[in-house]
Amino acid sequence: MIQTINIQSMLETIPVRTGDERRKALLGVRGIRKRHGERQLLDIELLDISTHGAYVLTGMNGSGKSTLLRVLGGLEGAEIDSLRFEGQDLIAHPYPRAMRAGIVYVHQHPILFSTSVAHNIGYGLALRGVKDEALAREVEAAMAWAGVGHLRDSDPAMLSGGEKQRVALARARILQPKLLLLDEPTANLDGAAREQVMALIPTLVEAGHSVIIACHDRDLIGLPGVQRLKLRDGKLEFR
Amino acid sequence: MSLLDATLRAFALLFTGDADLWYIIWVSLKTTVIGLLLAAPPAVLLGYLVAMHRFRGRRIAIWLAQAALSLPTVLIGLLLYLLLSRRGPLGDLQWLFAQPGIVFGQCVVALPVLVAFTLAAVQAVDPRHAETALALGARRRHVMARVLHEARFGVMAAVLSGFGRVISEVGCALMVGGNIEGQTRTITTAIALETSKGEFAQGIALGIVLVTIALAMNGVLMLLQGDAHAVRSRE
Repeated sequence: MIQTINIQSMLETIPVRTGDERRKALLGVRGIRKRHGERQLLDIELLDISTHGAYVLTGMNGSGKSTLLRVLGGLEGAEIDSLRFEGQDLIAHPYPRAMRAGIVYVHQHPILFSTSVAHNIGYGLALRGVKDEALAREVEAAMAWAGVGHLRDSDPAMLSGGEKQRVALARARILQPKLLLLDEPTANLDGAAREQVMALIPTLVEAGHSVIIACHDRDLIGLPGVQRLKLRDGKLEFR
Repeated sequence: MSLLDATLRAFALLFTGDADLWYIIWVSLKTTVIGLLLAAPPAVLLGYLVAMHRFRGRRIAIWLAQAALSLPTVLIGLLLYLLLSRRGPLGDLQWLFAQPGIVFGQCVVALPVLVAFTLAAVQAVDPRHAETALALGARRRHVMARVLHEARFGVMAAVLSGFGRVISEVGCALMVGGNIEGQTRTITTAIALETSKGEFAQGIALGIVLVTIALAMNGVLMLLQGDAHAVRSRE
């Protein structure tokens, strides 16, 4: 079982990497524009994401946070002027394979396939051709990381919201993505479930994944070492 | 002959293993199953594609698929008769009044049911399943497999409904098969013929078989739906 930890102690565990020499440009997007009907939802001049970076994306409800994450994750289209990922200039449409392999988006209310928890966690790796023994080993490690080992053979429909979120995080992390896009990972969670999910996030950054978290959660926004991005009237402000 | 006498004779025909009767049942089951096996893969693919993709004319495609559900099978039979008749564009196949013709007809009769029901089943799947699969690196074929797995109860219901429609239809099998004894006589065409001759025993016996098949199919469907409802109630 995952340990319930104090939020303050967890905040102190997130690595502060400002000025870290290991940080390099991971994703650079110039000119992201998207309309919803008459409304210009996104009108972003530049978005730069570096390796080993932790970012929180804030903004009012309906400001386009989820849409921006979905665009970056290749689940929605948008007008994009130029795109650079891991030092390579890429064409934005269709969504580049290198980005599909290196970026994983996690829904606010994660959907788990109606198989087993273990199958859900191993799904992406199996698609990448990882075979039985190696797959089982990776899945075990991912379940241990998320504290869901006891749910291995459970029916996902029976899990609580917090358990589903942890399984979804394990399912994303197992792919070792360069960039994780977390859409309000603690929304609608309270008490121990929220703390358990929050405890996993610093470990993702520690492990070298860049993370963008869309959220309203003050504890997440207040994480030290995290860069703050705010969407206002479609524009992105760095804070 | 009274109804009771006819029914008793019907059971006697069934349980004494009347060769003619069981051959009719065999032809019906064989043409139905082969027709379904041929129709199901393209129909499920078509239902999936229409449900999952936005394209010009999509609403018309859905309208046509749903409208085709209510097409009289005798009309389908007439169209196929014209296609397969000696002077028709497919006359060279020599499928008219032969079992391949019946199979062809069963495919066409089953197709709208399979497409419309699959379409509905896929549309009922939360679109985040496809998005999640995509986000985890799935290619299109993997996404399709994932979504169809989530829609499996609906797709199975589509196949069972297609089976029910095909095995119980009479118009197309009569027009295309010709109701030839020992060759293309099916359960439904035999019932129609025997009844018109006043020979009720064989008609009742075949009716008992049809009712048994219908009960079995619906039993399977209920079991599947029960499973699906159990899953939903836990979510």
